[in-house]
Amino acid sequence: MASAYISMGEAHRRITDFLNRFSDAVSSQDAKSLCLIFSISSNSSFLLSLSDALITFQDASRVMRQADRYSQYADILLPLFRALQSYRLKNLVESYQAFEKAANAFTQEFRNWESAWALEALYVIAYETRILAERADRELASNGKTPEKLKGAGSFLMKVFGVLAGKGSKRVGALYVTCQLFKIYFKLGTVHLCKSVTRSIETARIFDFEEFPLRDKVTYMYYTGRLEVYNENFSAADHKLSYALSHCNPQKERNIRMILKYLIPVKLSIGILPKTSLLEKYNLTEYNNIVLALRRGDLRLLRCALQEHEDQFLRSGVYLVLEKLELQVYQRLLKKIYIIQKQKDQNKAHQIKLDLIVRALKWLEIDMDVDEVECIMSILIYKNFVKGYFAHKSKVVVLSKQDPFPRLTGKAVNS
Amino acid sequence: MMNQGSATMTTLDPSSQENHQAVDPNQHHMSSYYAPPNSTVAPWSAHGADSYARENGVVSHSGYDHDQQAVPPSRNVQDGLNVATSATTPSSGATNVQQDYSSYGTYQSTDPYGYNNTGYAAYYNGYQQQPNQSYPQPSGAYQNTGAPYQPLSSLQNTGSYAGPASYSSTYYNPGDYQTSGGYTSGAYNTQTNAWHEGQYATYTSHQYPSYNSDSNAAYSSTTAPAASQYQQQYKQWADYYNHTQNDVPCAPGTENISVSNVSSLSCPVPAGYSASGVQAPASHAPPGKPESGLPALSAVQSPAVGGNVHDSYWKHWAPSFQNQQPDPVQSYGQKPLDITPSHENLQQSSSCPQGPSTQYQASYQMPYNYQSSLPTVQQTVTPADTGSASKLQIPTNPRITSTMTMGLPKLDMQSSTTNAVARPAYVSVSLPKTNEKVSSNAADNALKPDTFPKSLCGYVERALARCKDDTQMVASQAVMKEIITKATADGSLHTRDWDTEPLFPMSSVDADKKERVIFSAPVSSSPKSKRSPSRRYKSRWEPLVEEKPTVQPASVTPDASKYGSWNRQFSGGKSDNKVNNSSHVKFSLPQRKTPKTDVFRPAKRQCVGDGMDATDNGEASSDSDKERSQSAYKSAAGAAADTPEERRRRENRSKRFERGHGSRIAANDNRSRNGGAGNVYARRATALVLSKNIEENGNCAVEDIDWDALTVKGTCQEIEKRYLRLTSAPDPATVRPEEVLEKALNMVQTSPKNYLYKCDQLKSIRQDLTVQRIRNELTVKVYETHGRLAIEVGDLSEYNQCQSQLKTLYAEGIKGCDMEFAAYNLLCVLLHSSNNRDLLLALSRLPAEARQNDAVKHALSVRAAVSTGNYVAYFRLYKTAPNLNTCLMDLYADKMRYAAVRCMSRSNRPTVPVTYIAQVLGFTSVVSTTEESEDTDGAEDCVEWLKAHGACLTSDSSGEMQFDAKASVSTLYMPEPEDAVSHGDASLAVNDFLTRNLM
Repeated sequence: MASAYISMGEAHRRITDFLNRFSDAVSSQDAKSLCLIFSISSNSSFLLSLSDALITFQDASRVMRQADRYSQYADILLPLFRALQSYRLKNLVESYQAFEKAANAFTQEFRNWESAWALEALYVIAYETRILAERADRELASNGKTPEKLKGAGSFLMKVFGVLAGKGSKRVGALYVTCQLFKIYFKLGTVHLCKSVTRSIETARIFDFEEFPLRDKVTYMYYTGRLEVYNENFSAADHKLSYALSHCNPQKERNIRMILKYLIPVKLSIGILPKTSLLEKYNLTEYNNIVLALRRGDLRLLRCALQEHEDQFLRSGVYLVLEKLELQVYQRLLKKIYIIQKQKDQNKAHQIKLDLIVRALKWLEIDMDVDEVECIMSILIYKNFVKGYFAHKSKVVVLSKQDPFPRLTGKAVNS
Repeated sequence: MMNQGSATMTTLDPSSQENHQAVDPNQHHMSSYYAPPNSTVAPWSAHGADSYARENGVVSHSGYDHDQQAVPPSRNVQDGLNVATSATTPSSGATNVQQDYSSYGTYQSTDPYGYNNTGYAAYYNGYQQQPNQSYPQPSGAYQNTGAPYQPLSSLQNTGSYAGPASYSSTYYNPGDYQTSGGYTSGAYNTQTNAWHEGQYATYTSHQYPSYNSDSNAAYSSTTAPAASQYQQQYKQWADYYNHTQNDVPCAPGTENISVSNVSSLSCPVPAGYSASGVQAPASHAPPGKPESGLPALSAVQSPAVGGNVHDSYWKHWAPSFQNQQPDPVQSYGQKPLDITPSHENLQQSSSCPQGPSTQYQASYQMPYNYQSSLPTVQQTVTPADTGSASKLQIPTNPRITSTMTMGLPKLDMQSSTTNAVARPAYVSVSLPKTNEKVSSNAADNALKPDTFPKSLCGYVERALARCKDDTQMVASQAVMKEIITKATADGSLHTRDWDTEPLFPMSSVDADKKERVIFSAPVSSSPKSKRSPSRRYKSRWEPLVEEKPTVQPASVTPDASKYGSWNRQFSGGKSDNKVNNSSHVKFSLPQRKTPKTDVFRPAKRQCVGDGMDATDNGEASSDSDKERSQSAYKSAAGAAADTPEERRRRENRSKRFERGHGSRIAANDNRSRNGGAGNVYARRATALVLSKNIEENGNCAVEDIDWDALTVKGTCQEIEKRYLRLTSAPDPATVRPEEVLEKALNMVQTSPKNYLYKCDQLKSIRQDLTVQRIRNELTVKVYETHGRLAIEVGDLSEYNQCQSQLKTLYAEGIKGCDMEFAAYNLLCVLLHSSNNRDLLLALSRLPAEARQNDAVKHALSVRAAVSTGNYVAYFRLYKTAPNLNTCLMDLYADKMRYAAVRCMSRSNRPTVPVTYIAQVLGFTSVVSTTEESEDTDGAEDCVEWLKAHGACLTSDSSGEMQFDAKASVSTLYMPEPEDAVSHGDASLAVNDFLTRNLM
């Protein structure tokens, strides 16, 4: 290990240097250099050399005790040293544990500081906590243990959120921590925990949402939009994801793609189809066939497309949304039949026989009998995809003469 | 918050600080010891901790601050009281402790009663089965005692103080639970009455029976050596017990007896108190003081509890006091002020602990050993211990998790304080001799093989083979010694099957050892430690936080600490454990009883601050960091209070005991203290030992438990067994081994009885499986059987339990009908949890091969039908459902039908024939082409259903019933379910449930 080549004197110098930096940063309220000090996972040469020094010079606490200006921050720095050291030694679980302690101590300090000057540093800490926890969990999982650190990071960040969420200048930072929490919760699949945080963000009257930093707003809207997708609350999801999309940095194609991944199904389900060029630009080709099926009224294509990307859609959580597009496909199919009939006979066009539909479906290799198709027609009418009524006796769908196939544009479908 | 907390502490508790300062000289040792931990802990303790550390040298404060934020007001009050008490009596600490407990007690009593009752009852059953004959009556007695909880809280508290209690405490750990189990609501009434009358006798008599086996025996043996007087008393007690068991009134008659009664009472109920009890006797030593104190107390108030303890002590120590007993007891009960005087007594009696210590030597051996072996290790070990402790605690207690970060420092603190306090007392007393004794103990530990059966030797070898180092060795030797002495005493030495005897938990021993090490340092430093009424930590299984507000703060953070301390106690050598445990147990009881009112709170506060005698501190520390810190202060104060004369007196007394003990031991050829203790207590069944161990472990960090050593091997041969939720360690005698369980399962499967019965049986089977850690195909079968039964009757909550178990069982690779249950799971999530995310999760976790399975395919198509609302498909699938899929779909059918009819009413014009609806919505059992009669049957049902849901029906020209779609649009409604229950779960209403499912 490289550390073996560092002399004790050098190690001591580096540690003292680091301690000076820290106490200088605190006393001069220099958030930037504090950020450097805490970004443990950045692998900066500064921190790497320090961790080597720490490995050589085992008893860093002695150095710290030498001066009051260090020792008052011992609860932050000692665990931080341990975290750095373990990180260097690739012991991520210990590194995380130590870092969380340091972070906790720092948060306590932060709480006592009047101003929010160290907000940036707190951001770094929140971020590092999450990243380290994720890595520690990976390490745990590879050792066959239960990964639990991310969960711990979640509860720790919740505490940090508590520090920030009050009134005053520190509140600006609340959204950043919220977003880190979202990332954790989505990763862990404990999305229900988001609710408490969102409530606190959205119900606060004293603080306008627009005052938060833009990047946090975009992230926040993205995640809450996804939550709305889960709830199949499409208009809200549309609003949030659209907000995220329109405010997202256009250079960040990856982020835009992430947003579109959810926005497209939402838009589809309210009847807005994307251009193929859009799908191609952001490499969202899994939606290609679905869009095509919607255009054509091709139920079979829809089902195939769903099956083909089932895993993907299930993982991203849009499967159920896409599946519900079936009704739109039926509507499209019915419309096509209607148009063809209209071309043949203007007068009888608004009456579509059930048999005809069954045959059309059969032609699509979808095997449904009359009863089932009747059921689907009922549902179409019930859900307002089709205007008209169904005459059971004669097995005929009677379409309204005015606008029999109302466009969905912008409206949510459900009843 | 922390800052505030500390501030309040300082401002509010000037007295405590003063005490602390005064004590400082005495505590130098402690501070020096702790200093290193402080520095390491520093990150944790940040604000408050630092300040405290400087002042006290005790780190624990910071932790306390956090936790107790909520509590400050109450604390303040308490502090004030404490101060007052402390001023008057240096040793008030003991009293404080008591009060604390009492406070706990109240909270417990309010919330957990039901819980305790059931759990304990269950335990109790097991207990009865155990060899002890004396027990059966105790059970009755227990119930009675149970009553005292609320009204008699004071009494119980006092009881805890009784010196004898501490001994009994060891037994009592188990006993505790048992006793508590006994408590039924009915019992309460009776007991309360008794208490009001002020008759100790009744109360005691009840408790006594339980004690008989343990405490009586223990007393006679242990005390006998120490003092002839005691022996007599004890004997009398024993006799008395016999008498009193049946006769309540008798007890009061004889003074000695009454004394013994009191003690015994206190012992069984408030195991925790036993420690304090030990202290109490000390106070009695100067008879004049107690008397004066008592009158004052009585004058002030009429609290019964404190009096009891004192009384018992007095009686023990000074016969003259017996008369006073009734007064103190009554007077003490209700007011906190009273408590303080009692504390004084207790404190005075600080010398007394020595007495107990000698008597109980066996139990204390462990600590000694540790000291001797690990003196150097102490400092280094502490951090490690705390770390482990914190870890352990965290997983178990959700509450603790929040305070995780603090855990380490706290633990350290705890360990330091507790150690110092609790064990130290003993240590200090016996210190002069300890080294010698240690060696001798070690020697003793080497059991004489000649007299023992071979299987036992094997057992010992196995146990020793697990030891990784000397300390473990010593510890396990101590444990084994106790086990063996017990076995010898109850005659099971040669009858027991040592080959199958589960080993006692090693890990706990380790933990104990470590803790001990830590503790040992404080012990020597602080005289206070001598009196250590062990406090009771709540087991994690008990409801923790619902304490009264005042108590809560302490309890919250402290949880971790409590557990830590608890762990330590339990983990310790068995003898130690027992003593401590018992004390703990008892404490719980007193807590319930005493907590009654605000009045006590101040007292409690005092307890926290002052009280923390050695034992109190140690064990009490669990309550909260703050308490701990306070205790540290107070203990210091107490130490200061300890005048040299007092100490000398104490020492003399302890020596006296030791002498007696030693002679007795020599006579018995049973030299180890453990052995002695074991003999004393020996009546217990081995099962109890085991269960105790388990219990102890239950309170240890889960990870550290050596489950293999602990796993119960059932011996019960009965096929049928009622389900009772365990609240304590299972008794092997009531647990059925695998073969029997298999029979039981068959019996359930073929039984014609109703679901309630089967469910009950299956739950007990599941419990036995769990307890024995049997996870194999039988387990899967049991859960599958239960799951199916539950589905059949629509008991979804039970089904969900089975399902979640099955999920992990299948994941372990155990074969079963996993596809079938995967389908159930899907359906369940789909139909009954209306949560898209869950559904997505369930879908995405479905392995590819599962999708090929018919049942799963079916479930998937059901899902598709539901998601589009395709009712036709749904009811077709309904008719073709494999396994029990129908049953699950059945539960959803109503909703589906309603949605369908609504849909039809909107979309169809003008009418829809009812026969068609009946057919489409699955009312007809057969497809429409079959015989008319069945068809119409279905139609009739359908008509009924439609009418019930507000549909408009007309009949057309041909007389066929038609559904008038347009008219129905506005009239359809979902009727309120007839069996709706206010609490939302109809299955919880037993009568409903019975009528619906079983008749």
